[in-house]
Amino acid sequence: MALSDINIDVERGEFVFLVGSSGSGKSTLLRLLLREERPDAGRIWVSGKDLGQLAPWKVPYFRRNIGVIFQDFRLLPNRTAFENVAFALEVIGKSKKTISAQVPQILDLVGLSDKMGRLPSELSGGEQQRVAIARAFVNRPLVLLADEPTGNLDPETTWGVMRLLERINRTGTTVVMATHDVGIVDSMRRRVIELDHGTIQRDQDRGIYGIGV
Amino acid sequence: MAISVEYVVKETAGNLWRNRLMSLAAVLTVAVSLSLVGAALLIKQGVSTATSQWQGGVQLLIFFNPNAPTSEKHSVEVQLKQMAEVKSFFYVDRAASYKEFKRLMANEPDLLNAVTQNQIPPSYRVVLKDPAEAPALGKIFAGQPGVKTTEYNFGAIKTMLDLSSIAQAVIIALALVLLLSATVLIFNVIRVGIFARRREVSVMKLVGATNWFIRIPFMLEGLTQGLVGAVVAAAGVLGLQSLFNYAINHFGVKLLSGFVITSSDVIFTEIFVLAVGIVVGAGGSMIAVRRYLEV
Repeated sequence: MALSDINIDVERGEFVFLVGSSGSGKSTLLRLLLREERPDAGRIWVSGKDLGQLAPWKVPYFRRNIGVIFQDFRLLPNRTAFENVAFALEVIGKSKKTISAQVPQILDLVGLSDKMGRLPSELSGGEQQRVAIARAFVNRPLVLLADEPTGNLDPETTWGVMRLLERINRTGTTVVMATHDVGIVDSMRRRVIELDHGTIQRDQDRGIYGIGV
Repeated sequence: MAISVEYVVKETAGNLWRNRLMSLAAVLTVAVSLSLVGAALLIKQGVSTATSQWQGGVQLLIFFNPNAPTSEKHSVEVQLKQMAEVKSFFYVDRAASYKEFKRLMANEPDLLNAVTQNQIPPSYRVVLKDPAEAPALGKIFAGQPGVKTTEYNFGAIKTMLDLSSIAQAVIIALALVLLLSATVLIFNVIRVGIFARRREVSVMKLVGATNWFIRIPFMLEGLTQGLVGAVVAAAGVLGLQSLFNYAINHFGVKLLSGFVITSSDVIFTEIFVLAVGIVVGAGGSMIAVRRYLEV
C-alpha cells in the first residue's frame, strides 16, 4: 500500500492508535517505522535516527530500540515461553547471566511467571501475546509498535493485553498500535490517527474510532 | 558485540543434524571428488618424478664414468656443438645427479644406502630436432672414451607421459563435475536449512540480530560439510600413497620403482584437497546465504 502526504509527530511516551480499513496503509506505516521498508520521498525519524540515512549495518542496532508485536504473535513453536524471550536476548549477544536474570523478571511483569516452561501450543492466545510482548519489551525499547495485537483475541483477553500495553506505556515507552477494534479505541480515549487510501484522514487527541460511527 | 562460540556451535550442529541425510550426501560428494583430485595430483607428481631426467624435451642421455676426466667430457661437448641434429643440450653434474637419484630411488632404501655421490655418473642431456635420430646419435657416443652408457628410450617414456596426462585429464574432468555437484548440494542443504528456520530468522531480524550473527551458523554449516568431505578425501590420499608403496615393495613392480611419491608431494596434495574442500563448502553456503538471507 502506498502512503503519501504523511506528516506525523509522535512525542516520547505517547500512546497512539492507527485506525483505518484494511489496505489503508497502517501496516505499511509500521513497516516504515521499523525500517523494513524505506520511503521513496520524505524523512522518517525514530528514536533520534533518520531512517533514510541509516546505514544498512546499523539497522539491527536501531531495531534493538524498537519492540514489535503482531496479530499472529510470531512465537517460535518449539521453544518454551522462557526460551522465546531468551532467544531475543541471545541473538543480540547478551550473556547467559543477563538472560537468566532478565527473562523471569519480564515474564513476571506480563503475568506469566508460573507458565515459563510452557510451549506456545500449551498457552492461550492472550498468554501467547503476553509472551510476545515480553519478548518485545525485554530490551526496554523506546518505542513499541503493535500491528493489530488483539486481532486474534476474544474481548476479555483483549482487555488484559491492553492493560499490559498501558502499563508499558506508563514506563515511558511510546506505543503505536494499529487496530480495527472499535471498542478499545473508543473506551481508551487516546490519540487516534486515521488512514484512508494511504493518506491521513484525521489526527485527533483523545479520539474515538470513527466520527459519527 | 560478541558472538558467543557456544551459540554458534550449538546452531551449526543443530542445523547439520536436522539435515543429516542431505549433509551426508554433500560430505560424500565432496569426499569422492576431492579423492579424485588427490589421486590425479599424486599420479602427476609420481610420473613427473619418474620422468624427471627427460624433462624439457630431452631425448638422449649421455652418461659419463663417475671419474671421467674433463677432457673427455669436453670432447663430447665439442661434438654435440657441431652436430646439426642437436637442438640444445645441457650438463648435469654429479651433485645434481645424486639429488635426482635419491629422489628416484626413494622406494629402494638398500640401493640408496649403498651408493655414494662419487659413484653417480654425470651426464649430458640432449634435445634433438628430430626424436627419430636419438638411436643413431646414441650409438655414436656409446663407445667413446669416458662415456659409460647412452639412453635414448624416449618412446616408452613418451607413451607413459601421454597415458598419464590422458588419465589425469579424465580424472580431473570427473572431479570438476563432482565438485560442481557438491557445491550445488551444499547450496541446497543451506537453502533448505534457511527455509526450515525462517521463523527464527524473521524473529532474529525483528529483535535486531546482526546480519553476521544470522549468517554465520549457516555459513559454518556449509564450511563444515566441505571440510569434513575434504578430511575424508585427505585420508583417502594417504591410503592411496600406502597402496602404491605396498604394490611396489611387495610385488616388486620394477616398472613403478621410479614412481616415487615423496612426503612433500603428499603434504602439498593434502593441503590442496583441504583448501578446495573449504572453498566448495564456504562457496556453496555463501551463495545460499546471499540469495536467501537478505535483510
